[in-house]
Amino acid sequence: MTALRKPLALTLVLLLILACFFAPFLWVVSNSFKPQLGIFADVTPISWRTFLPLEPVLENYRTLFERTNILRALLNTAIVSAGQVALTLVLCAMAAYALTRIRFRGAKAVFVVILLTFLLPVEAMLVPLFQVVSGLGLNNTLLGVMIPWIASPFGLFLLKQAFEELPRDLEDAARIDGAGHVRIFVSVILPNVKVPLLTLGLVTFLFSWNSFLWPLVIAQSPDIQLIQVAIAQQGSPTQLPNWGETFAGATVATLPLILLFLLLQKYFTQGMAMSGIKG
Amino acid sequence: MAQVRLAGLGKTYEGAHANTIDGLDLEVADGEFLVLVGPSGCGKSTTLRMIAGLEEPTAGEIWIGPRRVDGLEPRERDIAMVFQNYALYPHMTVAQNMSFGLRLAKVPKAEIRRRVEAAAETLGLSGYLNRHPKALSGGQRQRVAMGRAIVREPGVFLFDEPLSNLDAQLRGQMRTEIRRLHDQLSATTVYVTHDQVEAMTLADRVVVLKDGKIEQQGSPQELYDRPATRFVAGFLGSPQMNILAGRVTQGMLDLGAESRFALGAERAAPLEGRRVDVGIRPEAFRLAAPETALIHARAEMVELLGATSLVHFTHAGLPCTALLEPTEAPRPGQEVHLGLRPDRISLFDADSGRAV
Ligand SMILES: Nc1ncnc2c1ncn2[C@@H]1O[C@H](COP(=O)(O)OP(=O)(O)O)[C@@H](O)[C@H]1O
Ligand SMILES: [Mg+2]
Repeated sequence: MTALRKPLALTLVLLLILACFFAPFLWVVSNSFKPQLGIFADVTPISWRTFLPLEPVLENYRTLFERTNILRALLNTAIVSAGQVALTLVLCAMAAYALTRIRFRGAKAVFVVILLTFLLPVEAMLVPLFQVVSGLGLNNTLLGVMIPWIASPFGLFLLKQAFEELPRDLEDAARIDGAGHVRIFVSVILPNVKVPLLTLGLVTFLFSWNSFLWPLVIAQSPDIQLIQVAIAQQGSPTQLPNWGETFAGATVATLPLILLFLLLQKYFTQGMAMSGIKG
Repeated sequence: MAQVRLAGLGKTYEGAHANTIDGLDLEVADGEFLVLVGPSGCGKSTTLRMIAGLEEPTAGEIWIGPRRVDGLEPRERDIAMVFQNYALYPHMTVAQNMSFGLRLAKVPKAEIRRRVEAAAETLGLSGYLNRHPKALSGGQRQRVAMGRAIVREPGVFLFDEPLSNLDAQLRGQMRTEIRRLHDQLSATTVYVTHDQVEAMTLADRVVVLKDGKIEQQGSPQELYDRPATRFVAGFLGSPQMNILAGRVTQGMLDLGAESRFALGAERAAPLEGRRVDVGIRPEAFRLAAPETALIHARAEMVELLGATSLVHFTHAGLPCTALLEPTEAPRPGQEVHLGLRPDRISLFDADSGRAV
């Protein structure tokens, strides 16, 4: 009996946790199919009506796509996220190689200083970052949106751990085989850290896709607006926010992420377990 | 032609307080199989890695063939190296592992193929060329590592404890194979191990290293029969040489506990009155009649090994092992009377440990 009861209890607890995580998403999606009045009417008391649109309407989506340039924002975000992933991977992998495989004076100090920048909250860096990026003339450009984050201390840390786990003999064998640093990096190290690279890529993509504050500050022009900013700003300041449309936008913005995770979740959980860190 | 010459070679690791390698002079003849042996931490790997070019010496010179190579990149040194844990590239197949160096050196494809196939044939790997290392057994991985070295057709092979990750049976088998390969390719080989059996069975010449210095060098048999120091005596041979405390008085060697025998005037004269350590190989003991026996002891433990037997006893407070025929072996607790051949014992100065 106890043998049966234990997994049952465990399953119930897991279901409860799942429900807690899942409910807000369900609520957002369901409300995106309700008219504005319906949303407020169903909030209390919490019942299945709160989470299910009984008479679903597509009006929110129609207005979203007609009134705002959401496709443009999605495209911008995709470009920024993809670019940020690519640049982060290149930069962090090269830095991790240098810090783990090339002996030089002060390597430890360099690493510590880089990690220290990890401790600063984004908000505290916002103004100086804005000054630097504008100073570079990257104000209102997609490059300006991604550039402050590509030198990621988290990425460096994750990859440094992975690089260190590779046996040093591999590199020695490659040197005997006649490989230089570039060849070792590309042909010996990188193919053996695919999972950590993928993990970092995914975490970076997520971070970039969902970022709001920095894009809001640096990319004001409507042409280069990103998705999260676009969703938050679709109503004009004088009107009441149109919640149905906001929820429709949030739903549209989340779909690509869900797809990506379903595709890559195997590697993602592997990588997280390997690094022993939660992103 | 690829002899190796180390002249005054030294290495002090950054931050280390002592020299890891200290003024090493060594020559390896063309085609010679040289084994560097010594306890863990004595600097064998450091020496080998300096020859390979993976570690820069802090003093001295390295010559391979007619060229001075210290300062050159590993690929310019005409060497190949086999590592203890194989160091195969996990993401490459056996064939790719073997050909990586040749591909980097831009050797023509057909030639690469010929060499890889020939090496695979020699090593019995022909059926495995498309496998990845993780789908191979330990012995096969070791063979691939050797194949990777062979295809480069180097002047000098360097081995760093290549067999220590294998189980005992496979180790014996691979040992034979490495020696056969050497006889076939007759390439100069420097082989590092802490295993004295490998040193004894593989080497043309053994170099015993201790604390970064050469303790003794010579053919395996020379080192076994005439160890220059107590350290070498204890290191080579299994079971280990017995060391008893003795004193030379009036031409006799006194081993304590009433055991004394004539040493021969020539050997005894310069040692008169001195304390010596007496090294006796286990096989130097002979069963003797009680009245002529030199040592009388009680057998504490007897190991029957089939072909031979080991009798453990204590003499004058020191542990001792005798190697006897199984039919001669006493039962544990029984009295045993032993003689020994005076010409088979080594004497070392009790303080310096050097042979006298
Ligand atoms: N990279 C290194 N940095 C500092 N000390 C080292 C390094 N490599 C080896 N040593 C030291 O040098 C000594 C000899 O090491 P090694 O050559 O690996 O010995 P062996 O191969 O004979 O076991 C050891 O005391 C070891 O701690
Ligand atoms: Mg070693």
